[in-house]
Amino acid sequence: MAKVTDLVLLNKPNEKILLLGNHAIARGALEAGIAVFAAYPGTPSSELTDTIAAIAKDAGVYMEYSTNEKVAFETALSASWSGLRSMTAMKHVGLNVAADSFMSAVGMGVEGGFVIMVADDPSMWSSQNEQDTRVFAKFANVPVLEPMSVQEAKDMTKYAFEISEKYKHMVILRTTTRSSHMRGDVTLGELPEEIINKKRRLGSFEKNPKRFVDIPAHSRNFHPKILENIEKIRTEFNNSPFNWIEGEGKIGIITSGLSYAYVKEALSWLNIENVKILKLGTPFPVPLGLVEKFMKGLEKVLIVEELEPVVEEQIKFWAYDKQLNIPIYGKNIVPRIFEMDTKRAVIAISKFLNLETPLNFEKLEESYNNINSSLPPRPPSLCPACPHRNTFFAINKATKKNAILPSDIGCYTLGVLPPLNAVDTTVAMGGSIGIAHGLSIALNGALNEEIENKKDTQLIVATIGDSTFYHTGLPAIANAIYNRSNVIIVVVDNEITAMTGDQPNPGTGDTPHGSGKRIPIENIVEAMGADFVEVVNPYNIKKTTEVVKKAMEIDGVRVIISRQVCALHRVGQMKRKGIKLPVFTVNTDKCTGCRICINTFGCPAISWDNETKKAKIVPTMCWGCGSCIQVCPYGAFEVAKEAE
Amino acid sequence: MVKEYNIVITGVGGQGILTAANLLGWTALREGYKVRVGEVHGMSQRFGSVISYVRFGENVYGAMVPEGKADVILSFEPVEALRYINYLKKGGLVFTNSRPIWPVQVSMGLAKYPSHEEIKRIVEEDFEAKYISFDAENLAKEAGNVISTNVVLIGALTQTPDFPLSPETIREVIKVSVSPKVIELNLKAFELGLKKANSLL
Repeated sequence: MAKVTDLVLLNKPNEKILLLGNHAIARGALEAGIAVFAAYPGTPSSELTDTIAAIAKDAGVYMEYSTNEKVAFETALSASWSGLRSMTAMKHVGLNVAADSFMSAVGMGVEGGFVIMVADDPSMWSSQNEQDTRVFAKFANVPVLEPMSVQEAKDMTKYAFEISEKYKHMVILRTTTRSSHMRGDVTLGELPEEIINKKRRLGSFEKNPKRFVDIPAHSRNFHPKILENIEKIRTEFNNSPFNWIEGEGKIGIITSGLSYAYVKEALSWLNIENVKILKLGTPFPVPLGLVEKFMKGLEKVLIVEELEPVVEEQIKFWAYDKQLNIPIYGKNIVPRIFEMDTKRAVIAISKFLNLETPLNFEKLEESYNNINSSLPPRPPSLCPACPHRNTFFAINKATKKNAILPSDIGCYTLGVLPPLNAVDTTVAMGGSIGIAHGLSIALNGALNEEIENKKDTQLIVATIGDSTFYHTGLPAIANAIYNRSNVIIVVVDNEITAMTGDQPNPGTGDTPHGSGKRIPIENIVEAMGADFVEVVNPYNIKKTTEVVKKAMEIDGVRVIISRQVCALHRVGQMKRKGIKLPVFTVNTDKCTGCRICINTFGCPAISWDNETKKAKIVPTMCWGCGSCIQVCPYGAFEVAKEAE
Repeated sequence: MVKEYNIVITGVGGQGILTAANLLGWTALREGYKVRVGEVHGMSQRFGSVISYVRFGENVYGAMVPEGKADVILSFEPVEALRYINYLKKGGLVFTNSRPIWPVQVSMGLAKYPSHEEIKRIVEEDFEAKYISFDAENLAKEAGNVISTNVVLIGALTQTPDFPLSPETIREVIKVSVSPKVIELNLKAFELGLKKANSLL
């Protein structure tokens, strides 16, 4: 259980270690001799990005935290054009951001192997939707690989670079939350000399406008080439080490990626042996030669895959043309929503073969649902001492809850939950400002419009994080200022990309290679012509409330930068340095039991004591910000003692 | 060697659940098993309900313990043991830290926290399993730091009847995993948990 960086750089081929899926992909990229990596973090892809950042200097790799996925994609793409093996990583919705460049660049091809790692999130553990990247890959005609184990995740990464270089075509490595965040045993391969010797490689770019300038006259040549390439790769995949046929029988199961793992477990749970399995690591393009070989002699087939019927559609298309007349089951019995698991595989296979399930899952679910519905919910919450809580509290106080509150993607989305209830809309990264502007236009009109019988102005206060602001907030705020919007935008600036694990951003200024240039948000919005700009520290709740009220007094695009470093980040650093935090407590003589602290502020460290009927602080959860002192009207909170 | 062993670890984000799972994963690897550890990162880590899986053996492929197949649930917080009770096999075992952490909605008076007796009754009667709870946090404090609560619980876990991993291998993994100045503390926490569970079984 050594440090991740040591494990990923371990120069011991054939050593067996335990790695997280994302760490294994980082190792695979190093074994492939990657030279450039650029990404914007996004769960469940972030550990790959952070691992490359942590080892970049020790492996001679250029790594950057780009401001968004599109920029990251372009950075890595042009490194590939310069002959370097390069990679980018993102969560599934990140590919939407990169999509403009991604779709157009496919036909331009690559020079150095170029791999796009995209991590999907079936069941939406940390995401706003559950789109299937394999559909996107098929749409773009980009081959997609999907691992069934941590070992495969590592080996496939290296293979992805080789395929990409061989066919001069970009390749997607698609994981899911489960394959990215699964730890498993991995046997290490060899690291190339350049990585061991920390040799930073530089590329060379050869001008070729017919290839690199996508004016229509050039682009018309791309599409036929793309389709031709995909068919070549389809043939190549007949012999891919990640696609194979196993077992014998007249019953067939085709499965892709991690679903293979669930199928294997389900068959063993059901005690079924005489089944032929086609295991696919390449859901697009499906290797039809292998499919043809597999289908010979089969009486019926089940396709088990997670989310969309990507493999199913390709196989049914093929089967129709071949006039193959056997039943092919798929999404009619395998769920299309949420993540796959062993139970779902057992139920699907039982239906397919008319068998009883080994457990009465319906009965189990029924008795479980009875219990679960009586349990107190425990959704994630903002941390103790989180500055976002203070900002929301101040907004609620200043606006007397009369404002519409568009918000954005980050930890602060949790402001939607009680007791803050301070988030009314979220859509996608950077969406808060566009939505706030649209609402302002729809409800109030633009400031340069003349509108008869105008009603009272609806107050609109958007919240957006610092990293999200740089990511996609910038064009939106330019739009709002240019089009004379009437909104307040509060940038909840905790000086780091907190939600995904404390990555630096332009507001932090640091980069994996040393000091970057810090770009203060107030300078940006001032330069853009915002009508009001003020920076405030949300740990001072009174001052923050006053600043919001002051902004409410004028019209225009008003920007408040509510700046206080992320508490989780700060406390983590303090603990590592051995600095003790103050801990607060409740003076029960002063506490009236009014629950204002619990019902309006909601710090997880503040709890209710059923015996004394007063508030109490859980000392192990208090991070010592002292905000509770400002919230309590009776002065019941005070410093207790030094923390343990 | 067992062909499949399934451990479910539950609790509240921030309690050291991922570290516990990782430690058990390395122990199983050291004993020569094929290993899978399942975790969820990101938003749910922020003081929300958390579940993690440790699995090993030849028949294990995926990261998640199937429902009804966990040999043991190791819970860092009582209500969280109940939240994932559907994973436990019939006749399985629940080890839980007895200290409740109230969700915000309970403090707000919007939801009720079940009594200790009620949790025990549901596990034992409705799920036909064994329920053992003790104050692991207190033992961690006795060992020297409340942060070692997860190691206290791992110590207890080793006392599960027919538990396939040896306490000695866990001690070895602890020694190479934690920083040198807290090795003693963690080993003490481990012993305290082990003895406590042994006395309760």
